Amino acid sequence: MNAPFGETGALGPSAVLWLAPIIGFAFGWFLERGGLGNARKLAGQFYLTDLTVFKVMFSALLTAMLGAYWLDQFGLLDLQLVYLPETFVAPQAVGGVLFGAGFLVSGLCPGTSCVAAASGRLDGLAVVGGMLAGVFAFNLAFGWIEAFYDSTALGAVTLTDLAGVPRGVGVAVVTVLALGGFALAARIERRVK
Amino acid sequence: MTTVHQTLAICAAVLGLAAAAADRPDVDVAVLAAEMVSERDHITAPELAERIMRQDASLHVIDLRPRADYDVLHIPTATHAPLETLARQPFPRGASLVLYSEGSTHSAQGWVLLRLRGQRDVRFLREGMYEWLSRVMEPRLATDATDLERQEFARAEVQSRFFGGQPRSNMPRAEVPVGYWSAPSGSTSPATASAGPTTTADAIRATVGAIRRRGC
Amino acid sequence: MKRPQPYLDPYLAGVGIGLVLLSAYVVAGRGLGASGAFASVVAASTAAVRGTEVAASSPATAPYLVDGIASPLGDWLVLELIGVIAGGFLSAWFAGRTRRGIEHGPSIGARQRLYAAVAGGIVMGFGAKLARGCTSGQALTGGALLSAGSWIFIAACFASGYALAPLARRLWR
Repeated sequence: MNAPFGETGALGPSAVLWLAPIIGFAFGWFLERGGLGNARKLAGQFYLTDLTVFKVMFSALLTAMLGAYWLDQFGLLDLQLVYLPETFVAPQAVGGVLFGAGFLVSGLCPGTSCVAAASGRLDGLAVVGGMLAGVFAFNLAFGWIEAFYDSTALGAVTLTDLAGVPRGVGVAVVTVLALGGFALAARIERRVK
Repeated sequence: MTTVHQTLAICAAVLGLAAAAADRPDVDVAVLAAEMVSERDHITAPELAERIMRQDASLHVIDLRPRADYDVLHIPTATHAPLETLARQPFPRGASLVLYSEGSTHSAQGWVLLRLRGQRDVRFLREGMYEWLSRVMEPRLATDATDLERQEFARAEVQSRFFGGQPRSNMPRAEVPVGYWSAPSGSTSPATASAGPTTTADAIRATVGAIRRRGC
Repeated sequence: MKRPQPYLDPYLAGVGIGLVLLSAYVVAGRGLGASGAFASVVAASTAAVRGTEVAASSPATAPYLVDGIASPLGDWLVLELIGVIAGGFLSAWFAGRTRRGIEHGPSIGARQRLYAAVAGGIVMGFGAKLARGCTSGQALTGGALLSAGSWIFIAACFASGYALAPLARRLWR
């Protein structure tokens, strides 16, 4: 198996585009199945009453991380050809702070707002509208923000690159942290009950 | 916690912890530098010839020169890939890659790119096509050769004939530089020793022209 | 109308999403995303309203135009998000969870909820542009690839949410 298929030529660019909605469909399906289309459920994360967001997000991250790592190890997937987002320390930290605040207040994130709207929730639609406005506001303000936006660029680096350890060590650490987090979540839920 | 959860957690723990012990090292620049200095990044043309003759299945020879040059003449079994293509081209994990270009710039750059990508077994011909031509296709023996040199030449003749080349056994000493037979690849340049063409490119063109005139 | 079914176990849903993300890596050499699709739509709207010249010359929207043309349907993320909408709808439909309504906390009314939703959305849209992604694109996709910036985003996002939670109590409790 020579993957990523779109990068090795096993699949042409239009085939890759056709697969986008199919992959998206599965994503939306599981988001809704897990209850992430419900703003009250999502906001409960921040009050420790409903830890669904943490459980779903980190078990997804863990699954994809382990899957990608081992497919790469066995030569089935070339991770070097998979797009790695670039790191911009300050903008991503500030953006994260803003995003977390917005997430708390709106109870939904970009993906789940679409799921909520698709399920008939008007608040989901309101979040979608708000986000479009927020992006638009950003574009308007871009002239003033551009310097900050492009600052503190480190390129496409991983935590393990920065720490100077092999990728496998990073995978192990994240695994332990995630499993520990799940155990903690279980304990928190027992206490709240 | 249900049994499903427990199973998932155990699988994740096993896969995650095994990752720390997995043997594929990430690229350490110091290691690359050490390989460069100790010349473990090179392969000599006769060694390459040997492996091609053995039909080594894991061997991938890659020509980094312009397509036109590749079409005129290339090392047998070599495929063509310019640097940009090479950077994105996936290779099997255990593949043994040998790069060559006209001189050594592009193949050395390609070596770095592939090593950074995690390919373990990558080497390049220090003097590229010229080395192939001058040490495999047309190996040279001085008229006043030593016994050692004759022995080396005997081996080279076999390779040369295999690839349809022409051994040259009565060269003037001036055209067989010191270290041609004994030194590591590239430490003395046949191109500079040659009395005729003044650049490697010219030398290659002349040799290729001569080979083509000889026909198959 | 069907009775709403119980939600899928969150860990199983997570594994499902993880496999979907993995398939994106394998098929397309990239991960999932959402906020990028929003940015594409805004860029295309800008081009439609103010002309492609303006959109192509503005550094904020130019990256979303290919060869000076705004084609959101040629954007992988937009197509993916269309799938998300379809998948979310059908899952809700089959589970009896489709319902016209407004989810809100017990202490506020529907109108206040909608204002909060829009306000939160604006801040999220801005933040996601700054961070080059959201929970899907940065946290999930980049996080699984151990991208440094993605983990910075995850930490900042959760820290911010937990820190401000007491202030937003009235919205949800």
